[in-house]
Amino acid sequence: MAEPQRLGAAGQKPRDGTPAARGAAAGQEREARTPATAGAPAAAGAGPVLAAGIRNFTYPDHAAAALQDIDLAVEPGSLTAIVGASGSGKSTLGRLLAGWLLPGSGGTLQGHLEVSGTRIAFGGTAADPRIDPAAWGRQVGFVPQDAAAILSTVRATVAEELAFGLENQGTAPAAMREAVTRTAGLLGLSALLDRRPDRLSGGQLRRLAIGCAVITGPPLVLMDEPYASLDAAGSAGLADFVRNLNKAGTAVVILGQAIDPPLFDADSWLILDRGTVVTSGTPDGLMSAPALLPAGIRRAAGRQGTGGVAAGTSVARAGHPAAGGSFAATPVPAAPGVRNPQAPRLQGKCAPALQLTDVTFGFDAPPTAAPATAARATAGRPWRSRWRRAPAEPTLEDPTTTKQTPAEPATTDPALETTRNAAVDAGVQPAWGSILRDLFLEVHPGEIVAITGPNGVGKSTLLRMFNGLLRPVTGKVLVNGVDIAGVPVGRTAAHVGLLFQHPRDQLFERSLLREVQFGLDHLDRLDRLDRLSPLGRIDAARDGQAPGGDRALAALAQVGLADSAGEHPAELPGSHQRLLALATVLARRPAVLALDEPTVGLDGNGLAVLDAAVRSAAEAGAAVVLVTHDVEYARTAAHRILRLTGGSLVPG
Amino acid sequence: MTTAAASLPLSLTVAVVAVGISAVSGSARRLLPTAVAILVPLGFSLLLVHGLSFPGGLTVLAQWGPVRVTAEGLAFAGGRGVQLSAVVLVLLLFSFSVSVPDLVAALSARGVRGRFAFVLASTLTLLPAIAARVDHIRQAQEARGLVIRRGPVARLAAFRQQVVPLVLSLVEDAGTRAAALEARGFGAPGPRTSYREVPDSAAQRLLRPALVLAAAAAVAWRLWPGSGGA
Amino acid sequence: MSSPSLTLPAAGPGAARKRRLLEAAGALAIAGTYIYLVLNQPADITGGPGSAPALIALSGFLVGAVLLIAAVLPTLPASTVALIPVALVLNIVLGQFVGSTLVPFYLDAVGTVLIAVLAGPAAGAATGALSSIIWSLFNPTVLPFAAGAALIGALAGLAARHGFFRRFYLAPVAGFVTGIIGGVVSAPVAAFVFGGTSGVATGAIVGAFRAMGDTLLAAITKQALISDPMDKAIVFTVVAVLVYALPRRARMQFPFLRKHRVLAGDTTDRAA
Repeated sequence: MAEPQRLGAAGQKPRDGTPAARGAAAGQEREARTPATAGAPAAAGAGPVLAAGIRNFTYPDHAAAALQDIDLAVEPGSLTAIVGASGSGKSTLGRLLAGWLLPGSGGTLQGHLEVSGTRIAFGGTAADPRIDPAAWGRQVGFVPQDAAAILSTVRATVAEELAFGLENQGTAPAAMREAVTRTAGLLGLSALLDRRPDRLSGGQLRRLAIGCAVITGPPLVLMDEPYASLDAAGSAGLADFVRNLNKAGTAVVILGQAIDPPLFDADSWLILDRGTVVTSGTPDGLMSAPALLPAGIRRAAGRQGTGGVAAGTSVARAGHPAAGGSFAATPVPAAPGVRNPQAPRLQGKCAPALQLTDVTFGFDAPPTAAPATAARATAGRPWRSRWRRAPAEPTLEDPTTTKQTPAEPATTDPALETTRNAAVDAGVQPAWGSILRDLFLEVHPGEIVAITGPNGVGKSTLLRMFNGLLRPVTGKVLVNGVDIAGVPVGRTAAHVGLLFQHPRDQLFERSLLREVQFGLDHLDRLDRLDRLSPLGRIDAARDGQAPGGDRALAALAQVGLADSAGEHPAELPGSHQRLLALATVLARRPAVLALDEPTVGLDGNGLAVLDAAVRSAAEAGAAVVLVTHDVEYARTAAHRILRLTGGSLVPG
Repeated sequence: MTTAAASLPLSLTVAVVAVGISAVSGSARRLLPTAVAILVPLGFSLLLVHGLSFPGGLTVLAQWGPVRVTAEGLAFAGGRGVQLSAVVLVLLLFSFSVSVPDLVAALSARGVRGRFAFVLASTLTLLPAIAARVDHIRQAQEARGLVIRRGPVARLAAFRQQVVPLVLSLVEDAGTRAAALEARGFGAPGPRTSYREVPDSAAQRLLRPALVLAAAAAVAWRLWPGSGGA
Repeated sequence: MSSPSLTLPAAGPGAARKRRLLEAAGALAIAGTYIYLVLNQPADITGGPGSAPALIALSGFLVGAVLLIAAVLPTLPASTVALIPVALVLNIVLGQFVGSTLVPFYLDAVGTVLIAVLAGPAAGAATGALSSIIWSLFNPTVLPFAAGAALIGALAGLAARHGFFRRFYLAPVAGFVTGIIGGVVSAPVAAFVFGGTSGVATGAIVGAFRAMGDTLLAAITKQALISDPMDKAIVFTVVAVLVYALPRRARMQFPFLRKHRVLAGDTTDRAA
């Protein structure tokens, strides 16, 4: 990344960074835009840039408090990590501190918040002051977990999107240009300034979101899970960027559910569990007594309990945490180096549950570069099936559907590229040409096969072949020995369970139970019909099983969500949404279980659940195929590892 | 009947000129299909309403019971069709030649204009994304056993099953976007600046008020008792 | 200590008065136009968009709609403003889809009614008017119906405020009544500006009435009375299904829902 630089708002003179000057400024110029303090980080004696004393915070209509008894103070130029497992209240705290969740309309807060020396007290009554989100946003920049959420949707280019916050402050055009150029340079966005923001890849989008948060020069930047789904190089690049912000005097708070290597840089950690701070201290201090950390928090590979904190930090600092970049995938003990812990019982004895022979697939038409005009949306018939046509329009909300097309030059700085976003992987592909070529695959009942490979190589495309969401151009896909060509996806789905990469895409009901139950009764009807057809025969495992409702509850219990059966899927924390999506697949007891990047976004508890579920499904006779970029996880979980390269599978 | 706006040659001229400009500026390929999609149903509707029964119709071409196809009715439907075509084509010419980012930048200011610009631009950004969003939902449902059968009832059921999650996810996203917009100063008082520069010549600055005045004058002239005649 | 710079001041009465004034002017323009058209019963349907009654219908309704937008839009909270584009997209996509079929309905107000139920009559009216204006960018024929759409939004908001969405069977009833009023108001536009309707199915119904000897305005009004109430009853039902399916966290952004206890099962706001 570029040289350390002050990231202050353009056109602002760097302010004297001494405590006295800051104090004077705080008194008189609170309205003014406060650029990141220039010069040395945090001189001793300066007040905290952000402080909070939260007695409790409760969402409307909720009985239990989401947060209670949290006290924190963030010094200028410091790095703070707030770490908690899924559901610990981490994101609620982040949004509350960032002014994205407003006390009053967003919930009841008792306690106080303090920004740059201004303290606001809340009593939880209607008479409480109302936060001005715009003024708050000038003090605290926020990078949400879902980077696409920060997009204004009204700016046509990356440059304008970056400038949106400055425009709203009335920054002079020349200064705005300078700030955009500088911020884009720091984040490796310079070559993308004229691109449409909704056509960026996931990694580019994250960098844009960071740029939008820092360009106005807030004295504090909050980032929610910035390292989740970043590969080693991406993490190192972001860690560098954060260090430069710190050097320029900007305080950074990182919220995470795993102890990622870069967090060892932090001045202090706050460990969150069930909405409250269970412990806090320096990384060294906390890692020396790992028993204090809640079990749900994932730890970086190679650091668990070894006390190798210093080593870990230096690895991260070296900028290339080769092994440290990926995570110890699972807390389930597995003998390292043993490739096939248990040979699949049924392999060789019976026909493969899934068989792909000589499959070729590609997208025929090159993507259109035309800007999305409204007229196009009106011309089509939106509810029709759109597969096998020119690439679908990318959605703004879902970063996975947008991707650099191969036609474009490699403009991206790989440093911050995420590892998960390839559009090919999402199956919505602005790639063309041949993606899969001469591909053979056989998976037997009881076998767990992991497929790895770099982004955009077509792993998710391959998974979508299994149930017919995508059809091969040539070649055959056989499920239980029956060619699925011409069989509707909904029928094949009775035998192939597919877990998509992004859980939000596959949750659409209004309660967890209904979500898992969706299609189960239909499945039972199909089973009775299918008794006669060859496709149905092998699913004898489903014979005489409990009715749909019970099975749905059992599946929810299997992933540990039975207590939340009545809740709304949209209100679950991310890790739980993933588990719910897993439950919807498990409840169907498919003969083939296909999982797309199942480990991303799971906390420690979630990983254990996933691992147990995969194993028990395989033991019950399911053929499991999992696609993952997490080689560690693949090693511990799978019997066989294949690598997708050049369109076909080779032993990995 | 003799007013300028009602004259067939004028309407035809306006329509042809609009199509011509659009062809020259290269937007005809997008404009014409849209215009056809609007005007064909409109034309059929006019034929049904006036072609099949026209109170003043004398020249009966065909008659089935109360349905009388008259030459006058057909002429009226045709005339009105051409008139509306001219209006539609001119307005579409505007929509297809305006640069939305420039329009939004020109409108960007706080208050009504800024918010109108937001609604306009955001709608145009979200519209094309809907198809992809629906696709995601349908894929997820199919992967869990939904079979969309043929026939209107089955399609309607599938439609319902997709609309509910679609709207839910859109509303949810809008809530998050609102927080992001607020934090980035969308609702803040005070002056705004614009990153995008919209070229604006002196001639254009003069032409705009002149056109507004001309339009107002034309309306006033038409409405003035005894001048144009209604 | 608390600094005013990080918190919002209480809303002043001056802004509210200006807003009320604009709102009233908008409503008056729409009502006045309609009354003029009905009282004068202009017989001239042959003039088309350039005739005096068409111009009056167009300009009166349009000015009213624009005044309503100007009154309401700046006062809406960001959560509502951010949702308006979503509503417009729903209106346009559903409207365009249904319009392309041979069903004599429109279904082009789902988004408008959704906003009205979540954020109140003023927001609903502004959304209806905005919807027509922005949709007219690629289908100019909907522009003259801006005032009618605004009226639908306002009526839907009033229905929500008075508890018509608390019982599931009341929503279609409110929709039916809204449809009658909306249809009657929109009919003169269709008659004077278009001389008919913009869809084939609705055109066939108008043609049938004319063949039975009705005047154009009467025929179109009767057609509107057949299509609109059913259409709005469907739309209100769809919206009721949608709002009850919303997660709590999404609903909580809209104080209108809590203040007026729009939905069954919601607790009233303590502040109310």
